[in-house]
Parts: sequence; structure tokens; C-alpha cells
Amino acid sequence: MKVGIISFAHMHAYSYAHALKRIAGVELAGIADDNEERGRKYADVFGTVYVGNYEELLKLDIDAVVVTSENAKHREHVVAAAKAGKHVLCEKPLATTVKDGQEMIDACRENGVLLQTAFPVRFHPAVIRAKQLIGEGKIGRVLAIKGTNHGQNPGGWFVDPALSGGGAVFDHTVHVVDLMRWFMSSEVKEVYAEADNLISDTPIDDCGILSLEFENGVFATLDCSWSRNKTFPTWGDVTMEIVGTAGTISLDAFNQKINLYSDEKGHKYQYWGDDMDEGLVADFIGSVRSGKKEAFITGEDGLRAVEVALAAYQAAEQHAPVMIRS
Amino acid sequence: MFATYDEAMQSLEQVDIVDICLPTYLHKTYVMKAADDGKHVICEKPIARHLDDAKEMIEYCKARNVRLFIGQVLRFFPEYREAKRQLDQGAIGTPAIVRTTRASAFPQASNHWYADFEKSGGVILDMIVHDFDFLRWCFGEVERVYAKGMLGRGFYALDYALVTLRFASGVIAHVEGSWAHDSFRMKFEIAGKTGILDYDSARDQPLVAVSRGPKSEFGGVAVPESPLKRNPYFVELQHFLSCIEQNAEPLVTAGDAYEALRIALAAIDSIRTGQPVTLR
Repeated sequence: MKVGIISFAHMHAYSYAHALKRIAGVELAGIADDNEERGRKYADVFGTVYVGNYEELLKLDIDAVVVTSENAKHREHVVAAAKAGKHVLCEKPLATTVKDGQEMIDACRENGVLLQTAFPVRFHPAVIRAKQLIGEGKIGRVLAIKGTNHGQNPGGWFVDPALSGGGAVFDHTVHVVDLMRWFMSSEVKEVYAEADNLISDTPIDDCGILSLEFENGVFATLDCSWSRNKTFPTWGDVTMEIVGTAGTISLDAFNQKINLYSDEKGHKYQYWGDDMDEGLVADFIGSVRSGKKEAFITGEDGLRAVEVALAAYQAAEQHAPVMIRS
Repeated sequence: MFATYDEAMQSLEQVDIVDICLPTYLHKTYVMKAADDGKHVICEKPIARHLDDAKEMIEYCKARNVRLFIGQVLRFFPEYREAKRQLDQGAIGTPAIVRTTRASAFPQASNHWYADFEKSGGVILDMIVHDFDFLRWCFGEVERVYAKGMLGRGFYALDYALVTLRFASGVIAHVEGSWAHDSFRMKFEIAGKTGILDYDSARDQPLVAVSRGPKSEFGGVAVPESPLKRNPYFVELQHFLSCIEQNAEPLVTAGDAYEALRIALAAIDSIRTGQPVTLR
């Protein structure tokens, strides 16, 4: 099977490319990038060809593409890939507007290709185990969830809303919202948020606390802040405190680490857990190979999470909760 | 030991101060009794169950020329004091986003008064009123409160609340209060423009004792301790006593306790209405 990558603008392209290279029978057939220097560099790194723009890549005899361009370009790239009959694994957030996201979903459906949203955290073993424990009723019925997805300010195009669609709230809401939806099979009904630019000198939201009400009566909060500075021992976290009628689960997905104290690097967490990006890419390739009608994580899953992030901005602006669905 | 307040007052030769550790809903009655008797008063937090009660207590003590101190003890905990000191020294630059946790099992007490929301105010008024006071001490006045909690979602033998505070300074704080966990834990994380402060009582422990044996009494249960030469409650009482002796302003005033109560009640209001509550 042949797979291409559209853009290395998002750094996750790097680990997705690595994952592709490790799957037997999969060939990384080419890289398209509107930044030629970047495209050529990674074509070199991964022993493949730089083809120029994405239109050229889509002309190749490939089965699927990974879209890791800037968020605002997802629609253009995914719709083009769908029309060319290529299955798509699209980086999160799926799109910067609901309209764009819907257009991508429709284009993939009309052209009979899979659209998978890249929510790799669903492949983290501790996350899978948490879902399993909830399913087995170990903590009774879920009542509330306190989530965090902290990170560092990534800079670059991530802090240019024209390309990213928004800052920390947009970048870091979607992962944990997806996990909450997945764990409970329930949709977010209402969103409140406090969000602001409080840390970085670039004027974009870098701090945010969302409060969520789910259709199943569960309430939740989510801290999506880029509040990890360069001396913090790690890039960030994905955590969930899940309170149930019969117990609690404390999930800290990346707390599989050893501590490094280095005179050069300072104090660092060295992660030794499983590579979830590998799980994500293997799942996508498996779905394409077996001719599945629907991806494990769909475009709709991606869009539902985007809706929550967009509602959070509206709520933060209005200082009032926003209903997504009644 | 005396069975009643009145019995104690009649039997003891000299009482200068009355320390009230009654359930919240009884604070007002006994603060006013002690004030009537001309005693200075130290009263457990929260100051009262309702704002007008708190106001009345403050004014009542003032009118009778007795001091009123409220045990918002977090300001006397060295870990919290150190955080405040670091903040004041600019160790993390301008503060931005803050997370706090205060968690324990559901408290057991006489007549299950904690379980009666009208008497205790639940986890928000009894537990995280501590954090509200600490946060206000560090970051100034709160502008807006939004909260979600178990209130009105059916009765379980637990309480849980997640509160977002927006300060006039711009700081955003997330406050978790739990009576749904199996042991006590408190945490804070304060991220600023140039640094981060964090503390976790479950991680940062100087001493843990575990007795082998059957799981009765303390057998098989880990008992963590953070021993200090002078524990925070002792330091607090000593401070209040010296304020009386020297007629000085305390580190935390009854007015501060009133403001912490106001934040807590706003959080409860927000849970009930589903809307943010603006305080300023």
C-alpha cells in the first residue's frame, strides 16, 4: 500500500511518517509541502520523494494520504484528496469551522473514502484501560470528569489564528473532549469557558478552562492551557479525574516516565510508555486495507470536538454558557 | 468538660476568648452569645452559612467591642505561605492560570450535619472556601464565578464540585472540591509568565507510617504525616492571641472570611442557575 503525506507544517507528521515506515507492506510514496525546503528535508529524512504541491501528490498511484498541514488548510487538502479517491487521515483539529468540517466529511462520503481524525490518545494503553474499567462498572456510574491537556506554546503558525483557527482552546480542547465522548458515548450539550491571553506576548488565547455539560447528565471541566514553560520537566499532559458513584479513576496518561536530572538539560521526564501515534497510524492503515466502511475515529468525531472548542470561544466572549444541542 | 456553653461560662473563673468549633449553621448563635458575654471570639470557617448572618456577626462583635477571628487556616499552612511568598517575590512572573484541589472522603460528624446541605453548604462551603480565601489573598478580588457540582443531581454519599474563578487581575483559577475520594489530599499549581509553582500533599510527604496486620484501626493503612515544630492550627491561634494582646490586625480578617463566603455562595448560585455570577 502506498501512502503520501500532505505537509509537514504540523510536527506530528514526523511521528506519523515514522509509524508508516514501520508498517510492513506500506510505502511512504511521497511528500507534498508548500514549503519546498521543509518538504525536501523530510523527503530526505524518510527516504522518499518531494513531489511539490499536493495536486502533484494526488496524481500519484497512492491509496491514502496523511494531512498534516496548518488547520485552516485541512478543508482544501482533504476535499481534494477525497475527490482523487484517496483515503484520509487528518490531523486534529479537523477544521477551523463547522462548515469546513462538514464539507470534508461530505466529500469523503461522496467519494467513498475513509476520513479518520487523528486522535492518537485513544490508542494510549492507560486510556484504553480507563475506558475498559468504566465499561466494567468499576467506579459505578460516571458523575463528573476533571480533565487537563496542558502543553507548551508551540509558536509558529499555531499562534496565527488565520492558519490555526485559534490558540490553546482550539489546539487542546479536542483531544480530551474526544476521550470524554468516547468513554461515555454521550455528546456535549452545553459549554462555558474562561479563556484569555495571559502568558505569551503574542496576542492569542493561551489559557483556558472549559466547563461542559453532557447529555447523560455528567459535568466536566477541561484545562487546555499552554501553561508549560521551557523548564517544566515535560511538554505537557493528558489527565482525567473521573468520579463515579462507586469510585474514582485518576488517569495521567504520560506518567510512564523516569526522571532525568542533567547538568545540561535540567530536570526532564523521560517517557517510556507505548507510542500511541504508531497505534493510530496502524489502525488507519488496517481500516483501509480491510476495506472498512467507516474509520474507527470518524470525521464526525473530529467535528463534534471542534464544535465544543468553537462554542468555548463564544462562551468566553459572552461570559455565558453556549448550548450546542438541546 | 462542660455540657453547655452556659455551664462553662458560669463555672469558669476567667474566660477571655471563646473558640467556636461548632457546625457552620450554629456559628452565629454562639458568636453572638460570646460577644454578649464580652469575650473575644475565634470561630471556625466558614464564617457562616449565609452572607447576612456573617455581616450581622461582624457588626455585632464590633458593636460590643470584642474581636472576631475566623479560622481561615490555609494562610497559616507553610506550603501555602511559601507559595504566596514566591509569588510576591515575582518568582514566576505575572500569575496566569491556577489549579487547586482539596479532596477527602465524605466527612462523618454528629447528626450527619455535613450531609445536610442547608446546614453545611456541602463541599464548596466547607472545603474549598479555604482555597477561595487563599486565592483571594494571592490574586485579589474575584470578578466572576462559574461552577458545576453534584448539587441538584440526585443524592449520593458524596459531593464534588469544579469551580472556575476569574479575577479582576485577569487570573483564571480552577478549584476542585471533593468529598468523593478515599483519603485527604490538597494540591495547587500556579503558572505564571515565567515560571510554575506546584504542590501535592500526596506526593510531597516527609513521613508515611504503615502498620502490618489486619485492616482494622490503623492496620494495613498508610498514615501520612507532615510534622512541624508548630502546626498551622497552633500558629493560627498564637497569631490571633497576639493580635488581641497587641490590638493588631490579623493576617486574615473577618472581612476576608466574609469575602471567601461570598465567593463560595456565588459558586453555589452558579450551580443552581447554570449561569456565571458576577461579583464586582
